[in-house]
Amino acid sequence: MNLKKHWYKIAAVLILLYVLVAGLLVPLKPGIYSTDPPILRSYSVNKIAIEGYNTNYAQADGNVEVWLKLDSIQGIKAENVTVIDDNHLEATFPIGYSFPEDRPTGTLLVHSAKDGTAVLPNRKLINSTDSKGQSLIGRSTPIVALPDIFFTKPGWQFPFRPFLHETIRNTFFHVAIWMAMFFLATVSLVYSLLELRNHNYLTDIKAASFTSITILYGLIGIATGSLWAKTAWGVFWTADIKLNMATVAILIYLAYLILRSAIQDQDQRARVSAAYNVFAYVAMIPLIFVIPRLPDTDSLHPGNGGNPALGGEDLDNALRYVFYPSIIGLILLGIWISNLRIRVESLLNKER
Amino acid sequence: MRVRSTYLTIFFALISSNIYSQSSLDFLRSTGKIYAVAVGIVIIFLFIVFYLVRLDRKLSKLENESSNE
Repeated sequence: MNLKKHWYKIAAVLILLYVLVAGLLVPLKPGIYSTDPPILRSYSVNKIAIEGYNTNYAQADGNVEVWLKLDSIQGIKAENVTVIDDNHLEATFPIGYSFPEDRPTGTLLVHSAKDGTAVLPNRKLINSTDSKGQSLIGRSTPIVALPDIFFTKPGWQFPFRPFLHETIRNTFFHVAIWMAMFFLATVSLVYSLLELRNHNYLTDIKAASFTSITILYGLIGIATGSLWAKTAWGVFWTADIKLNMATVAILIYLAYLILRSAIQDQDQRARVSAAYNVFAYVAMIPLIFVIPRLPDTDSLHPGNGGNPALGGEDLDNALRYVFYPSIIGLILLGIWISNLRIRVESLLNKER
Repeated sequence: MRVRSTYLTIFFALISSNIYSQSSLDFLRSTGKIYAVAVGIVIIFLFIVFYLVRLDRKLSKLENESSNE
């Protein structure tokens, strides 16, 4: 086994095995799955049923606090917290006053000694004018400064995002495939440019092979994105600018394959398809990167149309340990598959 | 290499149906089935890898034969 020749194939397999195992088995941070009702009213006894995810409320020996965060400095502590089981709580917020006018939503925060702190933002705060709640004036929990006790449970765990939950693991597959695709598209661009310069048959085969793998990865990226969309947005496809632009980019690349099969003469085919490949790459950049991020576009897709980009809380450091190796592993796998195609083409050409 | 998207399909079908039916627990993990999912996917991936290795070896053999003729 010639290690120098095959090192990247072994690396690809090992890295992708690590990505599959770590990506599927590392647990999620304890989080809040839902609160029922998701609103709090002024002048009423707010009984909130809280459901946690990956939590162990029953094992915290009663050290469970529930807070309504109004901003980074102040909040309201729940007066009564009943632990029903490991994943269910009931918290009572008797509010005998009006919420501050400038704050339409608050963040629910659950802190337990065993699980650390978890938050669920966007709990609506409604100022009701019900006279029945007037009896609570003077007998309710006040707005106080937030204490300094909140911590995150230590250990390697992926972030818990509302709506995404476990599907955040798709970052290692869907997003990584697109990143690998861009890298392989760049490689095919380089070979196409070399082909235009040198008119070497082997360079042409390499360009075609890498472009085929680019298309394959792009189609897999769209397919995995579609599956993810079903779980996160409820539909397999939507009229979203990022989705449409990515589809257009892949269609342009698919036309490359049709172009190659349309030209019989080998030299001409090499030249024309190399030129088209350059166009396809240059078209892909604004289609996928620039247009979806323009101001005033509306998009569901993270990173576009006013949404925060992939980063911040969506790309936790915990995710990076699996995300970056996934990109590298997929690139190496793509190079391996492309290499096989190149060798097949060379062999077929030799026999002619 | 559509096989890769096939096992992704299976995986997400398992995950997505459970997210909406079982609201409280990390269902697959709590019943220990996540390990079955992980092992299954690793096995499918290894099948793909062995197929690629087989192709690679076949190609090397053909190349050696054609260059020795």
